[in-house]
Amino acid sequence: MSGTIPPSTPEVVSRSGNTMVLSMGPQHPSTHGVLQVMLEIDGETVVKAEPEIGYLHTGIEKTAEGLFWSQTQTVVERMDYLAPSSNALCYALAVEKLLQITDGIPERAQTIRVLTMELTRIASHCVWLGTHGIDLGAISVFFYCFDLRENILDLQEATGGARMHPNYIRIGGLNGDVPDGFLARLDALIEKFPGRMRELRGLLQANPILQDRTIDVGFLAPEDAIGWGVTGPSLRASGIAYDLRKAYPYTGYETYDFEIPTRTQGDAYARFLVRLDEMEQSMRIVEQARKRLERPGPVMIDDPKIALPPKETIALSMEALIHHFKLISEGFRVPPGDVYQSIESPRGEIGYYVVSNGENRPYRVRTRPPSMYNLQALKGLAPGNLIADLVVMIGSLDPVFGEVDR
Amino acid sequence: MPSTQKPPIAGAAIDPPSLRPPIDDAVIERIAPVELRARLEALKANGFAMLLDIGAVDYLEREPRFDVVYHLLKLAPRPASVSEVGTPERMRLLCGINDGEHLRSAMDLWRSADWAEREIFDLFGIVFDGHADLRRIQMPEDWEGYPLRKDYPMRGPAAERSPRPAFANKSNVVAGTPPSGRTLEALQEQVKRARS
Repeated sequence: MSGTIPPSTPEVVSRSGNTMVLSMGPQHPSTHGVLQVMLEIDGETVVKAEPEIGYLHTGIEKTAEGLFWSQTQTVVERMDYLAPSSNALCYALAVEKLLQITDGIPERAQTIRVLTMELTRIASHCVWLGTHGIDLGAISVFFYCFDLRENILDLQEATGGARMHPNYIRIGGLNGDVPDGFLARLDALIEKFPGRMRELRGLLQANPILQDRTIDVGFLAPEDAIGWGVTGPSLRASGIAYDLRKAYPYTGYETYDFEIPTRTQGDAYARFLVRLDEMEQSMRIVEQARKRLERPGPVMIDDPKIALPPKETIALSMEALIHHFKLISEGFRVPPGDVYQSIESPRGEIGYYVVSNGENRPYRVRTRPPSMYNLQALKGLAPGNLIADLVVMIGSLDPVFGEVDR
Repeated sequence: MPSTQKPPIAGAAIDPPSLRPPIDDAVIERIAPVELRARLEALKANGFAMLLDIGAVDYLEREPRFDVVYHLLKLAPRPASVSEVGTPERMRLLCGINDGEHLRSAMDLWRSADWAEREIFDLFGIVFDGHADLRRIQMPEDWEGYPLRKDYPMRGPAAERSPRPAFANKSNVVAGTPPSGRTLEALQEQVKRARS
């Protein structure tokens, strides 16, 4: 048959012919959440690894079918809890396409969306770097990373009101403009960032222990990466420069000047370097977006049937009050149809296949979770390696289980 | 800006994809289950190297009932630069299938189909023939029913099937004899004694 590939589990010959089955997780600290890996091992060598997921299944896709279009925004943010805004943006873009209002989103809203996305990416990579460091025995990196992340979460709290799930990005624009003092804090972060990156690189990049543990570990060939559906930094570390910000630009990414870091080695160290480079590229975008924020403007679409009226008009205008009441009590309707929208989340291609039947609730919200497809590649990566290296592989794929299990 | 809100279209719930506005997000094709396998093989040979996702939708009143949706991406073998990747072509295959019908697994063409098909089996009950390891992935293995079907209630059947345990009721005095032996009668007796 043309184009067929060999079975998913590579043939690994057990040296002794005497294997045992070991369950790793779901409470194992290095599994970054609730991952269980059923291992068949020969001594310390993994013969077969079968990740068992679903421990964090919360039925978000089902829940979404019972909520208004705007309420769904709050639950999809709970999927990737390290980068909540990327889910929110992708879902909002999908619904905006169905509403056919993509061109009506104000420019300032687009700029702040890009800013939020890139700050989220840095924050998410900070968590990855910190926990990956802990997996490899470099505990102190964790504190440096979380300090930087804390600055970003402060900014998130300032815009959306919550540290973890700000619900800042809404269908049609944003919840509100950035508050007073935001830009000064952003400037402070921009100033702090290069020094902090130098410190992080200095701690890890040339560290012989880290290099020993990651170089040539978890090699992912480009063909395998594509076959497993791996996207994001893990794919780019295998030499494929597929990034949705360049391939299918959204919210004006085509107007920013940045590069897509790639490596060709395809091992855990390459994935580590790609993510570090990505953080710096993200900061480049943040700086460009910061300059555009000097210009004031609206941050929500001018359509009273979709956007909530400004709070201060509700007491003064009858129409505003009616719109507010209708939007809160029955939401807005979205024309029937289906759409696939994807964006580059910190973990890869996050996609939303949204179906509307013309009602005020989504008919179906299907998420393409990048973490799930990335994690699936573990089945191909692990056989033939040591259990200790399995920890490095899981860490270097950067799965988030809220998203894997949904 | 004029409002985008239009009156609802009658019967839109039956087949929303047929009413989709012109959104240029992929090449879309609708295909019958019998032709699906050959089409997927042809697409794979034609350079659609990545299977991004397989989703499913349940259109309860439609014939056929389910849509299985394949999202494919056309990538060059080793595109090393952004310009080489360009804007890769996307393909969306919608395959209508009825309850009880089976589909051929795409796992031997794209490995990423493995968990995607397991998830559809788990949440919609659609069987993929030729899948090496088709079992539940998100729900517990002994779960009954397929949660993402439209006729599956939002709160699940467990609440109706099994009665709440006595300790979960608001007042365990009314529900029966608790382990401590403090029945309703004993409690009333105690109150009476305290009042007298």
